[in-house]
Amino acid sequence: MNAPDISEKRWDTLARSRAARLARAGHLATGCIVSADDIVQLLEAVIEPGDRVCIEGNNQKQADFLARSLVKTDPSRLRDLHLVQSVLALPEHIDLIERGQVSRIDFSFSGPQAARLARLVESRKIAIGAIHTYLELFARYFVDLTPRVALIAAQAADREGNLYTGPNTEDTPAIVEATTFKGGIVIAQVNEIVDKLPRVDIPADWVDFVVKAPTPHYIEPLFTRDPAQITEIQVLMGMIAIKGLYAEYGIKRLNHGIGFDTAAIELLLPTYAADLGLKGKICTHWALNPHPTLIPAIEAGFVESVHSFGSEVGMERYTAARPDVFFTGADGSMRSNRAFCQAAGHYACDLFIGSTLQIDLHGNSSTATKGRIAGFGGAPNMGADARGRRHASPAWLRAGREGRGDIAMPRGQKLVVQIVETFREHMEPAFVERLDAWELAATANMELPPVMIYGEDLTHIITEEGIANLLLCRTPQEREQAIRGVAGYTPVGMARDLRMVENLRDRGIIRRPEDMGIRKSDATRDLLAARSVKDLVYASGGLYDPPRQFRNW
Amino acid sequence: MNGLQISYFEASARKRLSELVDAGSLVEFCPPEMRQTSPHLAMLDAPLAFDDGVVTGRASLSGHKVLIAAQEGRFNGGAVGEVHGAKIRGLLDRALSERPAAVLLLIDSGGVRLHEANAGLIAISEIMRAVLRVQAAGIPVFALVGGSCGAFGGMGIVTRLCTEVVMSEQGRLGLSGPEVIETVKGVEEFDSRDRALVWRITGGKLRRALGEATLLVDDLIPAFRTAAAKLIERYRAHPPVPADLDELLGAQAELTERSVRFAAARDGREIWQADFAEASRVPEMTVAEFNALLGEAA
Repeated sequence: MNAPDISEKRWDTLARSRAARLARAGHLATGCIVSADDIVQLLEAVIEPGDRVCIEGNNQKQADFLARSLVKTDPSRLRDLHLVQSVLALPEHIDLIERGQVSRIDFSFSGPQAARLARLVESRKIAIGAIHTYLELFARYFVDLTPRVALIAAQAADREGNLYTGPNTEDTPAIVEATTFKGGIVIAQVNEIVDKLPRVDIPADWVDFVVKAPTPHYIEPLFTRDPAQITEIQVLMGMIAIKGLYAEYGIKRLNHGIGFDTAAIELLLPTYAADLGLKGKICTHWALNPHPTLIPAIEAGFVESVHSFGSEVGMERYTAARPDVFFTGADGSMRSNRAFCQAAGHYACDLFIGSTLQIDLHGNSSTATKGRIAGFGGAPNMGADARGRRHASPAWLRAGREGRGDIAMPRGQKLVVQIVETFREHMEPAFVERLDAWELAATANMELPPVMIYGEDLTHIITEEGIANLLLCRTPQEREQAIRGVAGYTPVGMARDLRMVENLRDRGIIRRPEDMGIRKSDATRDLLAARSVKDLVYASGGLYDPPRQFRNW
Repeated sequence: MNGLQISYFEASARKRLSELVDAGSLVEFCPPEMRQTSPHLAMLDAPLAFDDGVVTGRASLSGHKVLIAAQEGRFNGGAVGEVHGAKIRGLLDRALSERPAAVLLLIDSGGVRLHEANAGLIAISEIMRAVLRVQAAGIPVFALVGGSCGAFGGMGIVTRLCTEVVMSEQGRLGLSGPEVIETVKGVEEFDSRDRALVWRITGGKLRRALGEATLLVDDLIPAFRTAAAKLIERYRAHPPVPADLDELLGAQAELTERSVRFAAARDGREIWQADFAEASRVPEMTVAEFNALLGEAA
């Protein structure tokens, strides 16, 4: 048998490809700095057909100038691209597909472009590799979806190419780490080029090119909820969450999903929860974006620590002024990191609570609706039991005991809670026999129905009717009746077995507000620690600077 | 309860009343069980309210007898119809015989109810005459403006006829409402969806700065209560006297001067700039900071 000929095998094809690309682009850059006028040429020089390309952006920060520039490249030269990125949020992302430059996408979330994307998939203009959660997609960057070219966004660069990402660091470290250490090319758009950066978030030798964008990158104020729009039903559900769950289990480490339901809980902490004597006993450590509605709780001394996925427009001065609470750099500004915060939410939190659009009789929930491929974002990373967790906490152990009984191997469980009104907007029932996700999966040829949180991970449902504790259910029938038993006047709720539901209530599996000592008539907006955005500004001592669309002064 | 702060802006008319006056002191006139509803709305098959959108009665406030009316902004925008107007006018007439320490009008109204426009217009004119008659009899009438509908149209005029006007920053006062101006004159004249602009022009701070509101208070029912109690004490010591001709001419001259001075102003900001050192900060200021700027004691 002949020995394999190792002399012919080359081990540096990535490096040589990278060198060739840099050589083609060399004349366009002064040092690492490229003029905005030359950016289309640069992209055509460094990107090759078939490349995996990541255009940074998520539901907050967007490399929008680089995305717009990519749409101006020659489709005959830049084609068959494989987009691997957190979100398809900009119209330009979808334009690239329509121009025939992209043949495959792997992503997490498509929010505003969900309907356009669904049409392209149905007309077979694009192949979706998979729709991931954020952490899952980041993980694949380091396994089989490593970008060849990453187009990223930073606040500022210095002339060497060091980057300052500031409070909105978000996905940048994960993308750059994967790209740069696997022979890829990193191009950064920045709002300004300065002599001295406040701090270095990404070192210069991980970055190949820097371009000053003509306009600052766009950031969506996604996590701002106007307290004026919180309803008394949401106040009631917030009281149920605090008294019936947080106090009961002693929830200290948690993550809140986005929405008015969780904003109500945050605004009830300094009032309702404080009256129950819960300060210091619940909600001390968070994996959470800097929600403006958390300001009153922070000011009341409820909160010890908050690590964030991203920042929030207008919260920069406030977070900088509260370094004991938020993670901040030596320059004083906050640093976020989506990958680490997703890991923190998955492994280090005892509870996730969030809203959804539909819950079925098994407790599966989904935000998918027909004709829209919206994806997942990060919620499933929070809203799932961390099977790899090995450290104990009282809340985690109690949930484990309730769910597994006493006979099994001792093990905890994360509390995964859905908080929904039984009817949502336009009187659509939140409880359904069958999720729309099935239909979407069929029309879009998906291998899996897009389920945000699987029933097997869901431990509690809170509605205005009370709490269903699914951990304590011992049979599928009990579980179904527990869900029906809090589903109100929806068709699913009306079809409940009254005797069985009363039995579940006797056993504490279903608890009504009155069972928890909560008077519905106490649920008024007067309990909210802030009733308007301006109240939040006052609570922050003038440090919170809300975006224009949230001001009425 | 810890931190429980009852918003005046968000409260119903009955909640405002019950928190404003001495506990349990309210005796309601024409209460809901009498079901004095609007015959006009019934003819149109429109929803009715058993109090026709206004609560009237006798109560005590800090121990002083008051007659009091509270409009419900959530019923037809607090608009004045025949029954609604008659209840307020009747309350004012009653003040002449009962002689309370004050009459309090908790105004939350867009003006005349369009479903019964003629009856509503007559009612407004009756209320205006009655407000003047009560004051002429030496009884002060206080307008409290802090609801979501503000005080517009005929009720804006009624407000300005009152002896004192207590407003919160959230309260609004004007003649034609922003939506009406936009409809008639176009969005270039007044963009009613620009909430910040609407409040900078019609809101409590500008009205206070111009002297149309006499007190600015926080959006809390206890703050309105404290202000009303203070005013009652003040007018017990010095009952209102009708203005004489010279005073009226003087006021007219001031208004003329103001209309010339601010003729070109398009925004409350321009008025702050004329009168305030820190004009750009005015919208952000707390009520206490703002009042301190006006030289009022806290």
